[in-house]
Amino acid sequence: MRSPSRRALVAVVATLVVLAPIGFFWQRSLIPNDLSPMTMGYADYGGGPASAHHGTDVSRLTGPVDQTPDVAVDLVAREERFDIPGRGPMDGYTLNHTSPGPRIVAKQGDLVQVTLRNENVADGITLHWHGVDVPNAEDGVAGVTQDAIPPGKSFVYRFVAKDAGTYWYHSHQVSHEQVQKGMYGVLIVQPTAADVIAAVHTYDKVRTVNGEYGERRVRAPGPIARVRLINTDNGPMAIWVDGASYKVVAVDGTEVNAPTEVSGKAVLVTAGGRVDLEIPTVKAVRIGLGGGPTTLVIGDGDAPTGGEPRDRVDLLSYGAAKPLGFDPVKATRAFRYDIGRRIGFFDGKPGLWWTINGHQYPDVPMFVVSEGDIVRMTIKNTSGQVHPMHLHGHHVVVLSRDGVRATGSPWWTDSLNVEDKETYEVAFVADNPGIWMDHCHNLPHAAQGLVTHLMYTGVTTPHHLGGSPNNQPE
Amino acid sequence: MRSVYRALAGLIAIGVLVQAMAIALAWFTVIKDVDDGSVFSENSDANVGHMIHTIVGSGIIPLLAILLLIISFFAKVEGGVKWALYVFGLVVLQFGLAVASFGAPVVGALHGLNAFALLAVAGMAARRAAGPAPAAESPATATGATT
Repeated sequence: MRSPSRRALVAVVATLVVLAPIGFFWQRSLIPNDLSPMTMGYADYGGGPASAHHGTDVSRLTGPVDQTPDVAVDLVAREERFDIPGRGPMDGYTLNHTSPGPRIVAKQGDLVQVTLRNENVADGITLHWHGVDVPNAEDGVAGVTQDAIPPGKSFVYRFVAKDAGTYWYHSHQVSHEQVQKGMYGVLIVQPTAADVIAAVHTYDKVRTVNGEYGERRVRAPGPIARVRLINTDNGPMAIWVDGASYKVVAVDGTEVNAPTEVSGKAVLVTAGGRVDLEIPTVKAVRIGLGGGPTTLVIGDGDAPTGGEPRDRVDLLSYGAAKPLGFDPVKATRAFRYDIGRRIGFFDGKPGLWWTINGHQYPDVPMFVVSEGDIVRMTIKNTSGQVHPMHLHGHHVVVLSRDGVRATGSPWWTDSLNVEDKETYEVAFVADNPGIWMDHCHNLPHAAQGLVTHLMYTGVTTPHHLGGSPNNQPE
Repeated sequence: MRSVYRALAGLIAIGVLVQAMAIALAWFTVIKDVDDGSVFSENSDANVGHMIHTIVGSGIIPLLAILLLIISFFAKVEGGVKWALYVFGLVVLQFGLAVASFGAPVVGALHGLNAFALLAVAGMAARRAAGPAPAAESPATATGATT
């Protein structure tokens, strides 16, 4: 028989052998409470020149400072109970006592000024102008372009609405909670007389259109409606039209070149994405919004009720090609953005977590570019789930999907639906200096670390993730 | 130590029962919600059943399995380390099957089956630690261990 002390020693050693690797990986996964976007992760220069970051502070990259705004909006954010017409009361977040917040409408070229005050949201707030390529200081990302606005304080956003189109705005502080619970609104640049807005939002399990539940009806604006569909949810949504054929006339704020008529097909609007449809509305039509009881009927009388068509419009080949305005072949930097998933710890929690290029947040690649670069990026998803990828401050054009070249109207997007086992190649011109988030717009995924930045050389940010303002952009 | 070993193994077996109850609760709740006009989507918060299943499955049971393994090194249970390793291995397998099931739901059937294996093995481990310690080891080592 082994001596008792020897036996105890073996037991202690065996315990260490079990605990040491677990402790090591647990400890390594902890995220510091005060993290600078400038120093987190590792720099990825995409084959371009490496250079240090010093120079312009993001807070100086603002919209016009002294001009009189053409559109001035005051918004007050509150945590409170509000009413969902057709459903009942809901606890969440409002802007000026409503969710969605007030619709902001501007003409192309207008200077928009939004004064945002936080009345009682304890975690702090920001507003991000989703799809609008604003100057960096106006981008509204807590911990990157500004500090979260604490209760009792205000922040002024100013930007020129230079591109016509359908956009939306939402909080980018604790966004996975604040957006889902109602802190968002619609932003339209250059509205038309034919406009019908359909902003879809699911409060937990209650799907709404323009904040209302069930079959909602609007008057037909004329013989033809331009329906501006906005998906403010975390997952992709199929949209279809019962009772008429339609054309997809814009995607993510960019007009489609030579759109063709579509019938018997759905169109996918990914999380954060927008699609404008042109629909004849002489007879009543029903817009299917991802299934469920909430639909939008345009016009009077009975509208047909159908199911989701099996086929979908493929934007890769929809419409007619035209010049992009730049040559992606002359790219000066090329990045890859591989989305994976692995078992392990994330901030001390065991589970199954996202990776970017095999690395886990915050040890993720920071994509470094210089102003004027032509950038190519290959986004590859092998993570088992769909990811709506959103790059701030820029629009990217899709070059190919799974090796098949884009042949339709240039597919400019800011919110790209990347299914599992899909690979997209996109390109863009680095023309908006700053530090820009590049993340999954399934916001809980972003909160689980599927987030990185596009950083311009010569730009720095003084803001920190965490820290005393408790900046938590996701 | 034997009673701790027994208690941990028993708790793992109970944990498996809780998991079966929680996942049934979770999906019946979803069905009821959808009947009531809700949608189940990426925007839906996890319901109570989902939450219990996640916390117990990825947190509590793995923790108990690790503790059981550590305790087995010290407790004088005949074949205790071996049975603790069986439990640990089945917990790892169960986690792996869950991970694989998100991509291939058919694997989820094995996740359900493996739960019964874990329940049985944890129960058998608990039984091995039932009753007093083996006579050959207890008096000598109990006093000797303090030196």
